[in-house]
Amino acid sequence: MNALDIELVSVSKSYASMAVVKDIDLAIPQGEFVSILGPSGCGKTTTLNMIAGFTAPSHGDIRIKGRSQVRVPPERRNIGLVFQNYALFPHMTVTENVAFGLKMKGVRRDEAETTVKSALRSVHLEGMGERYPRELSGGQQQRVALARAIAPRPSVLLLDEPLSNLDLKLREAMRIELKEIQQQLGMTFVYVTHDQEEAMAMSDRVVVMWQGAIAQEGQPAALYREPNSRFVADFIGKSNILSVTSAATKAAHLELAVGDDLILKAHKAELAGEIRYCSIRPESIAVLPPAAGGSGCANLLDATVRRVVNLGAAFEIDADLGSDVRLHVLLRATRASVPPKVGDAIRLGIDDADIQPLCA
Amino acid sequence: MNRLISILYWISLGTVLCFITLPLIVVVAASLSPTSAVTLQPWEWTGRWYADLWSSRWLDPFLASVKIATVVAAISGVLGLFAAYAVVYERIPGSDALMSCLLSPLSVPQIVKGVAIVLFLSMIGLQGFLGTPALIAAHVVLALPFVTRMVATSLANFDANLDRAAQILGAGKLQRIRLVVLPMIKPGVLSGVTFAFIISFNNIPLSVFLVRPGDSTLPITVINYLEYSLDPVLAAVNVASMAFILTVIFLFEKIGGFSAQLHGGSK
Ligand SMILES: Nc1ncnc2c1ncn2[C@@H]1O[C@H](COP(=O)(O)OP(=O)(O)OP(=O)(O)O)[C@@H](O)[C@H]1O
Ligand SMILES: [Mg+2]
Repeated sequence: MNALDIELVSVSKSYASMAVVKDIDLAIPQGEFVSILGPSGCGKTTTLNMIAGFTAPSHGDIRIKGRSQVRVPPERRNIGLVFQNYALFPHMTVTENVAFGLKMKGVRRDEAETTVKSALRSVHLEGMGERYPRELSGGQQQRVALARAIAPRPSVLLLDEPLSNLDLKLREAMRIELKEIQQQLGMTFVYVTHDQEEAMAMSDRVVVMWQGAIAQEGQPAALYREPNSRFVADFIGKSNILSVTSAATKAAHLELAVGDDLILKAHKAELAGEIRYCSIRPESIAVLPPAAGGSGCANLLDATVRRVVNLGAAFEIDADLGSDVRLHVLLRATRASVPPKVGDAIRLGIDDADIQPLCA
Repeated sequence: MNRLISILYWISLGTVLCFITLPLIVVVAASLSPTSAVTLQPWEWTGRWYADLWSSRWLDPFLASVKIATVVAAISGVLGLFAAYAVVYERIPGSDALMSCLLSPLSVPQIVKGVAIVLFLSMIGLQGFLGTPALIAAHVVLALPFVTRMVATSLANFDANLDRAAQILGAGKLQRIRLVVLPMIKPGVLSGVTFAFIISFNNIPLSVFLVRPGDSTLPITVINYLEYSLDPVLAAVNVASMAFILTVIFLFEKIGGFSAQLHGGSK
């Protein structure tokens, strides 16, 4: 277990009487890439600003390398921050921007020069040092902001939606680069985003926030596989969320009653509360010919195709199971496959492990 | 339709330009007039009135005005910067009320201000201050709201994230002000200072109460001269001070306007 870089200990923040961040506990080990993921207004920026020191928490403690930071101003926290709008100094060249933090630290001039060069190299901006920020494209400005933040070698780098102003192609390229840079430097990254794909693609760990509290945290794959709430299941990837009217343990299975008279067999699970929903990922549902046999699926359900949308790499099928239950199914397009047509009768196969019971 | 609008646009632009520049052209023409009456005779001209400007009659008040305007620009620049900084950037308690207070001199007519200052000085027994010290103080009162307003506007447009960026990179407050805030608002400060200089240099309504014989500003000297005679030397004085003001504006523009955006002041 690595040493802890950042700890939030029951941190809360209220503005006037409005609670914006509610009792957050978080421990981030050295060198980890953590994403804080959540919809707009859930308190991500506020949390980041409390770590950076721009906002004081109303309650709780923030520790960096074990030391309480509550009375330490931002300029003495040794943290890097990449802003959503980059916040490059417009009156300084790229080199001056990147050198700023080193200058503040009192690094020797020749040493600073080497560091600036290597920072610019690591973001692929060699030879741009003499330009002014407004002479750069959005993507290049983004890289300068990153170089400026990493040049003084902070122990932790905070990033507030750094890619949200870039177009999709660039965003996807930058994801990979960011991850590579993080691994090269071995720096702790706290990455704020509302884009779940971004969080899934880069992070060692994702912290899902909702309405100022942590809804769930874990490795991306685990969150995707085992969301603990309707919100997380829906926010991370796409999911079919069904209301469960009653649940009963029968033999090897947990039997969930959904819709009017449909029973789904799920894995037995230890759940703290009453099961009220279940989540099924669209890509985990198999599309079979009508009246197809068992093949190991715990659930075989007859359905009628209501709608087929061609997404290129896949078909999205809207299947009606009767008794007021509809499922979205994602069918991967292969050369041989012929997608069902609207009105076709099909059979859906769902593995018991692919049905995730939820309490909230 | 578009054509009509474009024609109207050019006509109105031309009219406005004529309206603004024709009197100036007349003054220039008059300053070249060969006779001692102020006349317009474009086919005959002389430069002899300009030679008169080097006499101490005109040179002394000109230098006095330049000195006063320079000091006024410097003082109101510094004070306006501090005031705007406290009100807009630090948002000290009661900053809105303070801002209205700082801008309140704008609502008092200059004549009234002039009388008030003279009365005030004689009331506290400081008549000796009349002349340069009183002129400087009065001009600062007059110019300060303009400077404060201009600096406040550029501070309000300053992106607070830049300040935060500098802070998280380790810059303390003084370093942030020197390296980030000041370079960013420099154009606003410099245009405020230019304004203060011009306001002081051209002022009549306040100065008229505060000058002392032998310690007068250029505009007041012009007014006094005008009482006895109207000859082309006045036109020459005006042309010369116009040229001077334009030079000042040009210089400040060079220092602070466009080039500040390019190179800043952090070196
Ligand atoms: N200074 C403030 N005063 C009052 N309310 C604030 C303040 N700053 C933030 N809030 C409120 O706190 C909530 C969370 O804001 P925050 O900026 O942390 O959201 P966010 O998760 O970063 O959202 P986004 O994805 O849109 O950036 C919002 O409802 C916002 O209105
Ligand atoms: Mg935000």
